[in-house]
Amino acid sequence: METEKRPNYLFIFITLAVFTLIETLVSYIQQAAIKVPTLIVLSVVKAVLVLLYFMHLKFDSKVFSYLFIAGCVLSIPLILVITIVMPSLF
Amino acid sequence: MSEMRATSPAPVAQRENTKVGMWVFLGGEVVFFVSLILLIIFTRMINSGYEEQFRSLLSIPIIALNTFVLVTSSYFVVRALEGISLKGSRSALRNNLIVVVVLGLLFLAGQAFEWITLFGEGVNLTSTYGSPFFTVTGIHGTHVFVGLLWALYLLVGHRRMPFTKENHLGIENFGLYWHFVDIVWIVLFTVIYLI
Repeated sequence: METEKRPNYLFIFITLAVFTLIETLVSYIQQAAIKVPTLIVLSVVKAVLVLLYFMHLKFDSKVFSYLFIAGCVLSIPLILVITIVMPSLF
Repeated sequence: MSEMRATSPAPVAQRENTKVGMWVFLGGEVVFFVSLILLIIFTRMINSGYEEQFRSLLSIPIIALNTFVLVTSSYFVVRALEGISLKGSRSALRNNLIVVVVLGLLFLAGQAFEWITLFGEGVNLTSTYGSPFFTVTGIHGTHVFVGLLWALYLLVGHRRMPFTKENHLGIENFGLYWHFVDIVWIVLFTVIYLI
């Protein structure tokens, strides 16, 4: 961890808490066309905030980011098979 | 020269190697948890009635509170790491890790409460939505439990372990694991409870 570039962790934490509250409120919206994309975006933003700041990917060696991205890329075939190929078999 | 080696922190290359190992593990965990999340998505795709049969039984406010508890624990992990890495304060490390353990236990208690409530409602390990739900949240809960054991190990052993301002990789690797478990819950919270 490079301690020279210190993010405001309290601000990140408050952002995560507020987003959790917004997500909870949005979940009560009935229209799926608004609800689903909003919830996906909020959850991705929260996950990225934790990755970049709490896990220091923004400041650490890019090697660590590549290793994490590799895991995400390796998951793509799984996602495609389970959401596109398999439902057609049922 | 030899005296300098004895007192200096671990070489950079060695430090990076152990952290690389942690990230390789987390990369594998991404694939593992994506497959578990897909289990839930797939079950919802091929069956109808998720909202009426299952989601209506879940208490969103309680789980939102549980999510807040886990996010808060992540913040205290960061504070623990900051305490030792910036100030070299072992008491800050200890105090923040104690808070992490308490919050982790609270999270598991919340999850246990939810499981008991669902069992009471007749959802079990063989029901359509119960099976993937208990599998995925159970595996995630096990990860939280392992994280708690790890935190307790660091707490109990911190007197013997040479954590200093310069050498705190053990805390950093624990933090990476704990934050990853937090990220997994952020996704599960959305996929299982909110959508």
